[in-house]
Amino acid sequence: MAGFTQRLPPPRTALLRSITDPRSTEVLDRGLVLWFPAPRSFSGEDSVEFHIHGGPAVVTAVLQALGSVPGLRPAEAGEFTRRAFQAGKLGLTEVEGLGDLIHAETEAQRRQALRQMSGELGRLYQDWSDRLKRCLAHVEAFIDFSEDELIEDGVLNRVDVSVSDLQAEIERHLKDERRGERLRSGVQVVIAGATNAGKSSLLNKLCQRPAAIVSPIAGTTRDVVETALDLGGFPVLLSDTAGLRDSSDLVEREGVRRARERVEQADLTLVVVDSAHLPSEVDRAAAFLREHLRSVLPDTDRCLLVLNKADLLPEKQRQKLDTELRGVSGLPAVRLISCQTNEGLKAFLTVLHSSVKTLCGDPLFGAPTLTQARHRAHLQRCAAALAQYQRYRDTDLALAAEGVRLAVTSLGRITGRVGAEEILDIIFKDFCIGK
Amino acid sequence: MLSIVFFSASVNQLLRCASHMLRKKLPFLHSLLSPVSRHVGHLTGHQYDVIVVGGGHAGTEAAAAAARVGAETLLITQKIHTIGALSCNPSLGGVGKGQLVKEVDALDGLCGRAGDWAGIHFSILNRRKGPAVWGPRAQLDRQRYRDFIQSELLSTPRLTMVEGSVEELLVTEPNPEEPGHHRVTGIRLANGSHAISARSVVLTTGTFLSGSLFVGQTTSPGGRIGDAPSSAGLSHTLRERLGLRTGRLRTGTPPRIVKDSVDLSLAKLHLPDSHPTPFSFLNTHTHCKPEEQLPCYLTFTTPGVERVVRESLQLNCHIQQDTKGPRYCPSIESRVLRFPGRSHQVWLEPEGVTSDLLYPQGLSMTMPPDIQLRLIREIPPMRRAEIHTPGYGVQYDFVCPTQLSPALQVKSTQGLFLAGQINGTTGYEEAAAQGLWAGANAARSALSMPTVTLSRTESYIGVLIDDLVSRGVTEPYRMFTSRAEFRTSLRPDNADLRLTPKGRCFEEVGCVSSVRYQESLRVRNSLQDALTALQALFLSTSSWKKKLPSVPISETKSTLLTGLDLLQYNDVTFEMLASAFPESLSSFMEFAQRLKIEAVYKPHCDLNKKEIERIQREENMSLPQDIDYFSLPVSLSDEVREILDRVRPSTLGAATRLEGITPAAVVNLLNYVRVTEKKKETHRNQRQQEAQRDEELCANSASLPQ
Repeated sequence: MAGFTQRLPPPRTALLRSITDPRSTEVLDRGLVLWFPAPRSFSGEDSVEFHIHGGPAVVTAVLQALGSVPGLRPAEAGEFTRRAFQAGKLGLTEVEGLGDLIHAETEAQRRQALRQMSGELGRLYQDWSDRLKRCLAHVEAFIDFSEDELIEDGVLNRVDVSVSDLQAEIERHLKDERRGERLRSGVQVVIAGATNAGKSSLLNKLCQRPAAIVSPIAGTTRDVVETALDLGGFPVLLSDTAGLRDSSDLVEREGVRRARERVEQADLTLVVVDSAHLPSEVDRAAAFLREHLRSVLPDTDRCLLVLNKADLLPEKQRQKLDTELRGVSGLPAVRLISCQTNEGLKAFLTVLHSSVKTLCGDPLFGAPTLTQARHRAHLQRCAAALAQYQRYRDTDLALAAEGVRLAVTSLGRITGRVGAEEILDIIFKDFCIGK
Repeated sequence: MLSIVFFSASVNQLLRCASHMLRKKLPFLHSLLSPVSRHVGHLTGHQYDVIVVGGGHAGTEAAAAAARVGAETLLITQKIHTIGALSCNPSLGGVGKGQLVKEVDALDGLCGRAGDWAGIHFSILNRRKGPAVWGPRAQLDRQRYRDFIQSELLSTPRLTMVEGSVEELLVTEPNPEEPGHHRVTGIRLANGSHAISARSVVLTTGTFLSGSLFVGQTTSPGGRIGDAPSSAGLSHTLRERLGLRTGRLRTGTPPRIVKDSVDLSLAKLHLPDSHPTPFSFLNTHTHCKPEEQLPCYLTFTTPGVERVVRESLQLNCHIQQDTKGPRYCPSIESRVLRFPGRSHQVWLEPEGVTSDLLYPQGLSMTMPPDIQLRLIREIPPMRRAEIHTPGYGVQYDFVCPTQLSPALQVKSTQGLFLAGQINGTTGYEEAAAQGLWAGANAARSALSMPTVTLSRTESYIGVLIDDLVSRGVTEPYRMFTSRAEFRTSLRPDNADLRLTPKGRCFEEVGCVSSVRYQESLRVRNSLQDALTALQALFLSTSSWKKKLPSVPISETKSTLLTGLDLLQYNDVTFEMLASAFPESLSSFMEFAQRLKIEAVYKPHCDLNKKEIERIQREENMSLPQDIDYFSLPVSLSDEVREILDRVRPSTLGAATRLEGITPAAVVNLLNYVRVTEKKKETHRNQRQQEAQRDEELCANSASLPQ
């Protein structure tokens, strides 16, 4: 490091320095340099951070210069975190939270990652683990001592209650409808509807660039057009699909099949309707929309109804539809917009944002959500093990107790209390980061 | 060759006998002791392979196991006639302990068969809680138990017994290259300067190591009432010469009650199982006939008992000490003090067929004898009871067992093995299990064979020893089923399958006789054949319904089910299947219960397998014993270093289970083990390559023209 910046800065102080190649003494960049002497560093070892400009040329030049210094090599995936973990600087859930932090592309992801690092998820699991251990202790006491000693009769009944409570809580947690995982990988939002309703225009409006080709010709979009966007801090994967209609065109038919497939997998579907096609009477319009939704979606739980081309409606009808369609039963949230004039777009974005937020779960409120598929697998095993307790409770207490033991072990695999080697192998395989 | 050697202070007398005893018919022991005079000097200078000190549960199993392995073995005890005595409760087995008895039996130990011979009240505890946690238990006739053990030892080839008190343990000067490391060379007896040399010594001194007896306010040296205290020399050698850390524990025993003075009609009758189940895999029935079994009686303490305890506290110095006593078998004093206002169970147990005494289980006490009498008379059936022998407390030294290897050998002293209460355990079964394992290893070590260990994944004995040597004890250690992680695999019913082949097959010599080995093979093969036959019965649910109309088989699934699947049903027994398919199954009727258990537990045991393999892998990664944890160049906290330095786990697996060891510490140790192993390997490879190069050079030079 001295070779790069001539003089060691004081510990933990950011200083602006010229960064030079030790071989050619060429100045590569001017940036901030930070020195963390051991053990007060992320990994517990002597560390240096270079904060440089992000252009690929600069980054490459600095990495090459570093690589030319004897004894330096690029870190392997996850190596910094692994070293930090080995130095006792991080617990297991914290390590995983940190992985997310480094991957965090958006603000909300960053918040959830930070929250996990501070151990909130760890605390939830720890609480379960403590309660399970207590259940186990009671069953074990009943097995090992009840013949000799006076163990109260109610012991097992209390365990029964605790076990079924825990099972219910864990299952509820598992049924968080993938919120945490969604936050990590993005909410799948699909735009669907009849041809020429303005689906591609909506996509372009949302991502604020012409990502999809827009034309007045019905059937312009034939394949799925995907774009990732940050919606008020939440990651969204937005897909535009082919308009749904029967077509003799082979290519278009394939596009329609893919569109339907996307809709089935979607977390949220935006059904776009051309308002000009709506009957003018509110009741008939509602019936029309219900019928239309049925042709697009299997159920209307997770969709928003977007009535596009509102600018083509007379002012009076527009207001009537806007106010009266909102309260109609059997319809999802309805918003009138115009991609042409941007009318209603802001209000629609608010609704969309809150839907996405619900799907992700606000990382700052409510029960912590699952952020790792690994957690899910262990929790499922934990819940299944508790079911084993219930299954054998009356016929074989040894096998019932085995269920509670397995449940404790499964949770332990998340909180990092059991089977260190095996867990580490899995984590660091999953854990492809380089700090 | 059988021999028994007696010598006391006044008369040195050697009794020698050669007899072939029938196991099933115990001869009257004393008739065997036809004296053959021989001077004690014959023992002096004699080189034994193994000397076992102590004739309790640990000592007798150790001596028998060592002799079975093939070592010339000498058992030294203070009184020959107390060999095999039940010092405390007249019972064997129970939950967790019963598993140990089955395992000792599977390794051809004595206590299971002795229990079958001496039992007078058999019952399987936890009968309704699942076969993995069944606790085979028996009340014993004290006299019969002792007779059986003594006659077994007398008929054991290569085993000599001698009466005497060990004054000193003989060890070499510390090895200058390894400071603090000694080798055992023999023992020296009291009352004379007789040194007897041996390559291994097993100490099973029970409560006699610096033991003191407590009754009321009086204290006297000793380990058991009626026996002389052991010499202070042994404690001195262990502590001062060998530098072993010791601790102090306490235990106690209840007063024995005159049976005729108790009104048993006021207690609750407790009957034994109508079909007694033997402990031993070699026995099909117990010595005692079902109808000859004796009952036990249950009664409860009253508020009067608590009052007497409280009033006499100042007269009870044992209870005032802060020495660690067992939480699991507490004295009546600690029971009422810890749980006041409650009524506590008291079992009145028979002491034997001809005995006129009762053993009040749960009334261990150390107050003065007159107050003991007042106390028991507060319990309704004992209103007019008389005490035959008062209860008393014992305090004794134990050697912190973390100083032992998993073979129960003292790490710093080659050839010195410890077993039983000296390692901080309590209970006959725990002592017997350690005795057997220490004896077998002492013999192997003496015969220049490597010592062997049992994993906690395969046996309760392994759990017991691993807990002792890797965690140590803070109170007397007793076995529970909850200590075994793989309880559903380590069942009492399959101890023979788990251990007998292993006990036989340790290299060329094992501790299992060929009779037992052949029997275990027969059982294993029959069970395998039966399971294969069950799996070959492959029928649709509707066909099963026709075959077994009384069983509620759900027909919703149109799958095919095997006989093994059916046997997993709650209401299906092997007998039912055998009567439906007599041609393929009836030959296995002998194993009906074992097959039912195998079928129910098989899926769970299969699930255990992977975890067991992981643990065995970690147990195979050994940590060097001479490692300096304080200077080890890996990232470990001072606290972790301190724990590792204190306990010195022998494997990574043992380190993982230590309290206070973090996952991060385990990873670092793992890396260390891997790196050092890799280095060793590279080093070996290098040396091999160098050797190869040298050879090539030689070959080359040989081919060079002269």
